[in-house]
Amino acid sequence: MRDPRVPAIQAVSVLAVLAAWETAARLAWMDPLFVPAPSAVARALGRIGGAALAGLGDTLAKTAAAYVLSVVLGVTAGLAIGSVRLLREVLNPFVIAAYGIPKILVLPWIVLVLGFGTAPAVFYGTLHGLFPVMVLVMGAVRDVDRTLVTVARAYGATTWQLYWKVLLPAIVPSVVAGMRLGIVFCLLGVLVVEMFAGVRGMGYVLSALANGFQAPELFAATALVSAASIAIVLALDHLSDKLSHWRG
Amino acid sequence: MRRGATVMLARAALLLGLLAAWEAGGRAANPLLTVPPSAVLPALWDLVRLRSYPDLAASLLLTLREIAAAYGLAVLAGLGCGFTLAFNRLVGRAYGPILAALYAVPAVVWYPSLMLFFGLDAASKIAFGFLLGFFPVTLAVLAGIRQVNPQLVIVARSYGAGPLTVFARVMVPAMLFTLVGGLRTGLALSVIGVIVGEILGSKAGMGALINHAYGLLRTADYVALVLVTLVLVVGSDVVASLAERRARRWTE
Amino acid sequence: MTAPSQLIAIEGVTKRYATSSGPIEALHDVSLAVGAGEFCTLIGPSGCGKSTLLGMLGGLTAPDGGRVLVEGAAVTGPDPRRVATVFQDPGLFPWRTTLENVEFGLELQRVPKARRRQAATELLGPLGLRGFADKYPRELSGGMKQRVAIGRALAIDTKILLMDEPFGALDEQTRVLMGEWLLDIWRRTRKTVIFVTHSLHEALFLSTRIAVMTARPGRIKTLLELGHRYPRAMESAEMVALRARLWGEIREESLRAMQ
Ligand SMILES: Nc1ncnc2c1ncn2[C@@H]1O[C@H](COP(=O)(O)OP(=O)(O)OP(=O)(O)O)[C@@H](O)[C@H]1O
Ligand SMILES: [Mg+2]
Repeated sequence: MRDPRVPAIQAVSVLAVLAAWETAARLAWMDPLFVPAPSAVARALGRIGGAALAGLGDTLAKTAAAYVLSVVLGVTAGLAIGSVRLLREVLNPFVIAAYGIPKILVLPWIVLVLGFGTAPAVFYGTLHGLFPVMVLVMGAVRDVDRTLVTVARAYGATTWQLYWKVLLPAIVPSVVAGMRLGIVFCLLGVLVVEMFAGVRGMGYVLSALANGFQAPELFAATALVSAASIAIVLALDHLSDKLSHWRG
Repeated sequence: MRRGATVMLARAALLLGLLAAWEAGGRAANPLLTVPPSAVLPALWDLVRLRSYPDLAASLLLTLREIAAAYGLAVLAGLGCGFTLAFNRLVGRAYGPILAALYAVPAVVWYPSLMLFFGLDAASKIAFGFLLGFFPVTLAVLAGIRQVNPQLVIVARSYGAGPLTVFARVMVPAMLFTLVGGLRTGLALSVIGVIVGEILGSKAGMGALINHAYGLLRTADYVALVLVTLVLVVGSDVVASLAERRARRWTE
Repeated sequence: MTAPSQLIAIEGVTKRYATSSGPIEALHDVSLAVGAGEFCTLIGPSGCGKSTLLGMLGGLTAPDGGRVLVEGAAVTGPDPRRVATVFQDPGLFPWRTTLENVEFGLELQRVPKARRRQAATELLGPLGLRGFADKYPRELSGGMKQRVAIGRALAIDTKILLMDEPFGALDEQTRVLMGEWLLDIWRRTRKTVIFVTHSLHEALFLSTRIAVMTARPGRIKTLLELGHRYPRAMESAEMVALRARLWGEIREESLRAMQ
């Protein structure tokens, strides 16, 4: 049941916040150097639109590369480790540690070794996206209904058929959940590298605008990346609903 | 029994193998880029004796204080926000999706604005650590409340429990485990937020020391500083996991 | 001695499992021969090794001692060209429709798509699942799911059908109807069935022979020969007497198993 008041409240709230913010900025309650009025941000968006879009395109291209690597490596490794009990038990703490440790600590070293180009961004983005996918897939493979595996064996499945026709389809929902989580992590990783050492890309644009005290442009660029990120996640949500149609 | 021993042995062997590979690789590589563990140990010793970085103690303390402030604010705001959203159906349904959408944005995009607004000092790190810690706490409250079996609430009401009693005796115990899990994630993320903030730009704190060592290509010192920071990270998570275990014993 | 005409021969089979509290003997010197076209039911207290025995026939478990022969050859692994198994848990693939689940075994055997589709579709009628071809398992009732699982076993058209408490999870009415349905299918397909159940009614209604097993370690305690006369008049004096006798045998073992 859709409550018609919900979208109304959402719209009114957003407008109210924007209006209050605009008023506050116009009345100079807040220093426009730090918090520009929404109207100024909108105008700034027009000014930096081209450059920001180019930066966004660059960032998204690196993110896409990191994402493909994360998903392919994460699913393959998760499936391989998750389906062999000894391997899973031995490696699990290592994977959890790699997932949990703040990867920012190795970022300086990565940049030192890989330089300032595309490579560290893709590598670091993959490092961020890989482990959530892998952890989810490992757990999902471990929890595959044992009866299904027994059935496949009884009906003469080869090892290949067991992976391809039973384990892989069984973990599809987790893969999709991992993909949804992974994209945000990949984007995060790429942006961090760009902020830390980038010479191109949205992360670099953002930090350059901050260092130049160009608040309206900074807010505009931030809004742009946020919108792109939300759009991507919503699209993946939609995909996940479609792929998991057999789920109750 | 024997299987467990095999697993532990294999883990130890793997760990040793990784260290050996690092040692071998570190010796072969350019010493400016990579150092072997055998070179890190003396650097670590110098570090903890405050030889290489005399302001290590002050930096650690600053980072710890930033984390404490960020996490404290995140817990307060997260609990407040979570319960407000959970107890007002309409508010929850209106603002829940907005919150979820914001959560889909990689938080680091906010950091340049925070730096612009709060400057290069502690405030921007606290703000970023707060931002990262806030979401998991809020979402855990929402998830925890959703988890409470409504039948339990009905039973409690039918035995004459008022709203406060229902909250304290039924809701809190039933959601505690999820809530504590969220608090643990929140702490981990607040820690990461502060460290990321410091590394992306700061004048003091562990991140500043790491940047300094790295900038001067003092790679052994850099690794030693990273190890010290890791102690902080792992230590905070150990504390959180102990609290989590407590809560689990309590709820079961 | 097993006559060469026996389709299935279990000879002096023993099975031990290693558990944390030491080894337990699940089966002890079990021998049983089943001829082609029989409906042989295993019945006995919980934990007496019925599933273990069925697992050996299906090639999923290896015996520690003795031999299991199918058509005179020792069973070394799953052989879906000779033996099909239906488990207590239907074990349907939730991402496959009814039709796709029924096709599963043929697909593993790389039967061309059009042929296996046709074979599976033809089965839907007798399975009573016409109109449910494109439904996913979650959209089916418990009895329907079990029929899909049986359809999956029938589709690979083996001589031998192993059924481990296939109706154990169903309510009593559905269970009786499913028994009638299975009897009809069996009499038309002339397969050899090894059936496990805890239900006296099911055993007496369906079987040509009933093998009563002892409490763990399982052995064959008694063999009851019922012959091929169907349908069974369950209220007849003969059946009532048989039922009493069967219950006596099982009661004794179940009491032993509970101690
Ligand atoms: N994989 C296993 N590991 C250890 N013990 C097992 C294993 N499988 C079965 N057992 C034990 O062997 C005995 C026989 O088990 P089985 O499943 O064959 O019994 P069953 O007659 O089918 O029982 P039920 O009627 O409850 O299905 C039981 O005591 C069981 O605990
Ligand atoms: Mg059994």
